[in-house]
Amino acid sequence: MAIESKKVIELASRLSIESNERGIMAAFGVYAAMNYNEFFFKVVSRVINAVDFKTAQTVERKLYDAVLECGYHTFHGIRTSMHWREHILPMIKSLEDEVYALVAVTNIFGIGFIEVEELLPGQKLVTVVKNAYDPGRYLEEYGIQPHGRCYMSSACTASYMDLVYGPRYPSGIGTFISAEASCRSKGDHICKFIAERCAKS
Amino acid sequence: MKVSFASDRNIIKLDDVMVSLHCHHYNCGLVKVLEEMKGINARDIFIQAATEEFYVNFRNYISNYLEGKTVIEKTEAAADLYRFMGFGRLDLSGLNESGGIAYADSSYYVIGWLAKYGRRETPVCHLTCGFLSGILGAIYGQIDGKYIVEEKKCMITGHDICEFVVSVVK
Repeated sequence: MAIESKKVIELASRLSIESNERGIMAAFGVYAAMNYNEFFFKVVSRVINAVDFKTAQTVERKLYDAVLECGYHTFHGIRTSMHWREHILPMIKSLEDEVYALVAVTNIFGIGFIEVEELLPGQKLVTVVKNAYDPGRYLEEYGIQPHGRCYMSSACTASYMDLVYGPRYPSGIGTFISAEASCRSKGDHICKFIAERCAKS
Repeated sequence: MKVSFASDRNIIKLDDVMVSLHCHHYNCGLVKVLEEMKGINARDIFIQAATEEFYVNFRNYISNYLEGKTVIEKTEAAADLYRFMGFGRLDLSGLNESGGIAYADSSYYVIGWLAKYGRRETPVCHLTCGFLSGILGAIYGQIDGKYIVEEKKCMITGHDICEFVVSVVK
């Protein structure tokens, strides 16, 4: 494994992600915006606490899909950027290296530090996040949760596998599906995500 | 605007408040998912959360960096913040303590929604409504939620500009 995550993060954090004079951040084929973590927590937590358990699960599944699209398209945009080709691609010697690099590059967006715990090439990816924002806030505001609340990191975990081992972009989205195996909002000590091939893929 | 990044924890702070970067697939997807839910007023939830966040954070920003500045300078700083965060460009010159009208000639949610879903028949700049409510409360030292904001025209529906009418809660 040739990827030094720290180096990838350092290089990726030099990527130009700034708004123009019209207040628009166009980067890597997507439009980005910076927003308060607490804003997202408030919006989503208030909705899922206002509906029944089943509806809340439906909402979170749809939000997982929204993040999956976000991750799939954004990470593809990053891995095809000149900056990536110049600085990070030379470190990548295998598909597995690419997974590690994509996971590392996620660590410039402010959504908690994600790391690879296990990778079975083409089959399974296990990631962990120790410091995601939402789980701690759910505990503070609502107490122990009945299931994991980190659809964001979960969907990102699937998106890496979709990009690297799925059919060629843009057809590979949804090749893998991720589940949150543990979550701090449930009282676990860490948030863990397992992405595996969908039964239909 | 001061941004810090803790690379060992993936934490970004904007003026000491934790922020994150997301693309239009998620930001617009979040709006769409919640708008499609029966029994949920997504617009109100977005506006309320944005009002609260921009109120408290811009009030702190004023306290830390804009003490003694004029209302015009504070209002310009608010527009700069909005632009810096990537939400678009606002003309806030028509606002005062009693409300007024604000305009946007560039909108993140309009551009993002058009790119992802195309046109729609109703305004989409819910976050901007909350932003305006929050920053006005902070600038004029009012309570959180004193201002109500309605987007009367939105570029997503075909208008040339987004128009936000601000009034004081009676």
